Amino acid sequence: MEEILNSPYLHPVIATLLIVAVFPLVAGYIVLAERKVLADIQVRLGPMRVGPYGFLQPLADAVKLLLKEDIIPTAADKWIFWGAPVLSTFTALTAFAVMPFSDKFYVADVNIGILFILAMSSLGVLGLILGGWSSNSKYSLLGALRSAAQLVSYEVPLGFTIVTALMITETLSMQGIVQSQLDKGIWIAFSNYGLMLVPAMVFLIAAFAETNRAPFDLPEAESEIVAGFHTEYSGFRFALYFLAEYASIFVICGIAITVFFGGWLRPFPNIAFLELPLNVAFPMLLLLAIGGGCALGATRVSLAYEKAIMGVLALTMFLVAAMFAVPMLNELIIGFFWFLFKVLTLIYVFIWVRGTFPRFRYDQLMQVGWKYLIPISMGALVVNGIVLLFTS
Amino acid sequence: MATQSTFLDTNELVLNMGPQHPSTHGVLRVILRLDGEKVLGTECVIGYLHRGVEKIAENRTYQQFAPYVDRMDYVAAVSNGLGYCMAVEALGGVEIPERAQCVRVILTELNRIASHLLWLGTHALDIGAMTPVFYCFREREEVLKIFEKYCGARLTTHSFRIGGLQYETYDTFEKDCHTFCDWFEKKVDEYEELLTTNRIWVGRTKGVGILNAEACKAYGVTGPVLRAAGVEWDLRKAQPYCGYEKYDFDIPTCQNGDTYDRYIVRMQEFRQSVRIIRQAVDSLPEGPIKGKVSKVYKPPIGEAYVSIEAPKGELGYYVVSDGSTQPYRLRVRPPSLVNLQALDEMCRGALVADVVAIIGTIDIVLGEVDR
Amino acid sequence: MKEFLKAIFLVDLFQGLAVTFRNQKPSLVCTEQYPKERPAIAERYRGAPRLNVHPDTDQTLCIACNLCALACPEQLIVVGAERNKETRRKELTTFIYDTSRCMFCGLCEDACPVDALELTQDFELASYTREGAIWDRQMLEEGPLPTEYKH
Repeated sequence: MEEILNSPYLHPVIATLLIVAVFPLVAGYIVLAERKVLADIQVRLGPMRVGPYGFLQPLADAVKLLLKEDIIPTAADKWIFWGAPVLSTFTALTAFAVMPFSDKFYVADVNIGILFILAMSSLGVLGLILGGWSSNSKYSLLGALRSAAQLVSYEVPLGFTIVTALMITETLSMQGIVQSQLDKGIWIAFSNYGLMLVPAMVFLIAAFAETNRAPFDLPEAESEIVAGFHTEYSGFRFALYFLAEYASIFVICGIAITVFFGGWLRPFPNIAFLELPLNVAFPMLLLLAIGGGCALGATRVSLAYEKAIMGVLALTMFLVAAMFAVPMLNELIIGFFWFLFKVLTLIYVFIWVRGTFPRFRYDQLMQVGWKYLIPISMGALVVNGIVLLFTS
Repeated sequence: MATQSTFLDTNELVLNMGPQHPSTHGVLRVILRLDGEKVLGTECVIGYLHRGVEKIAENRTYQQFAPYVDRMDYVAAVSNGLGYCMAVEALGGVEIPERAQCVRVILTELNRIASHLLWLGTHALDIGAMTPVFYCFREREEVLKIFEKYCGARLTTHSFRIGGLQYETYDTFEKDCHTFCDWFEKKVDEYEELLTTNRIWVGRTKGVGILNAEACKAYGVTGPVLRAAGVEWDLRKAQPYCGYEKYDFDIPTCQNGDTYDRYIVRMQEFRQSVRIIRQAVDSLPEGPIKGKVSKVYKPPIGEAYVSIEAPKGELGYYVVSDGSTQPYRLRVRPPSLVNLQALDEMCRGALVADVVAIIGTIDIVLGEVDR
Repeated sequence: MKEFLKAIFLVDLFQGLAVTFRNQKPSLVCTEQYPKERPAIAERYRGAPRLNVHPDTDQTLCIACNLCALACPEQLIVVGAERNKETRRKELTTFIYDTSRCMFCGLCEDACPVDALELTQDFELASYTREGAIWDRQMLEEGPLPTEYKH
């Protein structure tokens, strides 16, 4: 027993189990958040029927997807048809292994963390191609190939911008990157006299393309004639692709936050007098406001179980807010709070952009990637490198 | 490129954008001939919504047929009613009182705004912008509320009768129109902010689906498509009807005749329609709302062709009377059908993703195409 | 130059983002949660037909003149009448109105000289059978009685 408790594998295994168990729920709620935020932008209400304010909608969606009939096209290659969504989900979830949720909560701190994540996202493209190919449909394959070409093209500016950031951090390890931002006292996006804003913007734009999100979502658009790679998938297999997509959104946002926006650090991480307002007051006020909103919602819903759910939510928020007041607990959870807050803000930006812009045509999409983003990211790399050379 | 023949061989590929498709604005079937990604030619198959409206007209009296015309261009039903009533009135030589003409103009221009709003929403949705459709429908809701308060129906309004109007305007009609106009102008500014300079929108619509002025005239294309090609032709100014000569408004035109220009022309038409509505509401005269028409309407033997500027183009009604209470022949010149002819020319050389944008920019309604 | 700077700094994209951000105010939501919230129907709405009765005597106002049946483009009204021997007037016996084919154009309402036939503001006319959509005199006088929506 003592051996188990002292084993160095205990911490990573528990963290992995926690992430793998919790993430599908998180993905489901990100989907709900997307529907509600899109509805807000579109002056409507979004899901409202299942649970109070639609809060139990992800459970209904999960049950529906699980109960659907599993259709496999007759001439499809069965094993690859089975394996493709599994591959996509596997690569997306594996990237969580090096994601620095906080200084204390992470699965592993590999010294080539960034390289590992980039490798995983490149492998994820294979899941797409295999999915389109194994469906044995001309249009699925064409859609899969176009999607794969888009992903591969946009990985180049992604890589360039990360390399630009790595010049400042001088380490590939994810925790090391955050630590270097703590040492320098400024998030990488704002460092180097503001010149790093260009790679940050390029990374964000390439991130939209990497995750097949608007305005780069032509392979998934329904008004396009060539349907996407996941046309032939239904039920649980589709749920796996869906999970993989939202996991990759979370991963890309996580990378953006870690590399450019400080990871689990608070804004201005080295300025001492801001510790109290930013690390204690801000989370408490935010969670109290959310709890208050839930309580207000509890008064407005009509059914008993809806009131109960909203009440429980409100109490949870108040409890967590109280936890931030205790210094010992605060230290444990503040890193996680900031990471989550920043990732959720970036996910909100993703949803906001989806609701605003039309989508690019395929040739324009490739043009933006190859003719604009790659030269800009290469130029930013060179300029930042020169400035760093002469100022260090 | 190698000439290996695999199943990805890019010889001419025939693709069917079937009657059931989210972006064909109705049951339109378009057969595309593709060379890889480029369109070599298109062929439209129509008739999926043919209901024999013109034949029905031969078995109904003139007053009884009026509700059926709303069902043709169901998006902008008031214009249909206006064209029909004007054609039948021309046949019988009926005088319309001034007040009726003024209210007809107000409702027709509101209807133009509603039709263009639906066009903008669906066109933006086809190109991928998913929010303008909700904003447009919110505005359209206000117009439909005015229609509902006036004549009792939102979509298939049956608002006009032969000889004038059936209903007197309701109490808050003028106030509602003014409130709507003031509120709506700000919304048009919002749409322009969202779309007009947006580089993705411009990239998707500039240079796509060009139809120049000669081609327009050769096909007989009218409406915003013609005006976007540079031809300043609007029936409201060229052959004024229903009192339009009294109002001061401009005809927006553009130069290139591509999708972006048609978008600009229709956005300008929003503003011009608001101008007309404001002038008409302010100058609403008192008086009767219906001219002298007998209950059993028997126009003399003859024929009449009256065309109006519907939101989609020139909507014409050709009525032949044989002296009885039922028309001998009624023929409708649907602007959507005539404009749809130009689809083939506009799609030549475009990419597959543009076909959807081009169908949207012609602004067709299958109810009108098929009747 | 200004155009170049605007293009670099993605001004047009941020403008669009600002528009959608502004529209997120909860007060701008215009969704009506039907059937919990009922829509506001205009007075002149052409909905379900109703045969009006005199409020005091509870007798039908219809004089069986058949003008509504003649006015209807779809000929879906059938008025049954018999002549009363004493008063020498026609009295209404049956009135059949086929709502399944009706287009709610209002011509019957316009034709009625005594305001007996009126198109009301009811729009919930669904029925489980085709025959259920053919209304007789009793249904026309009572109106459709939709099932109360339970949560």
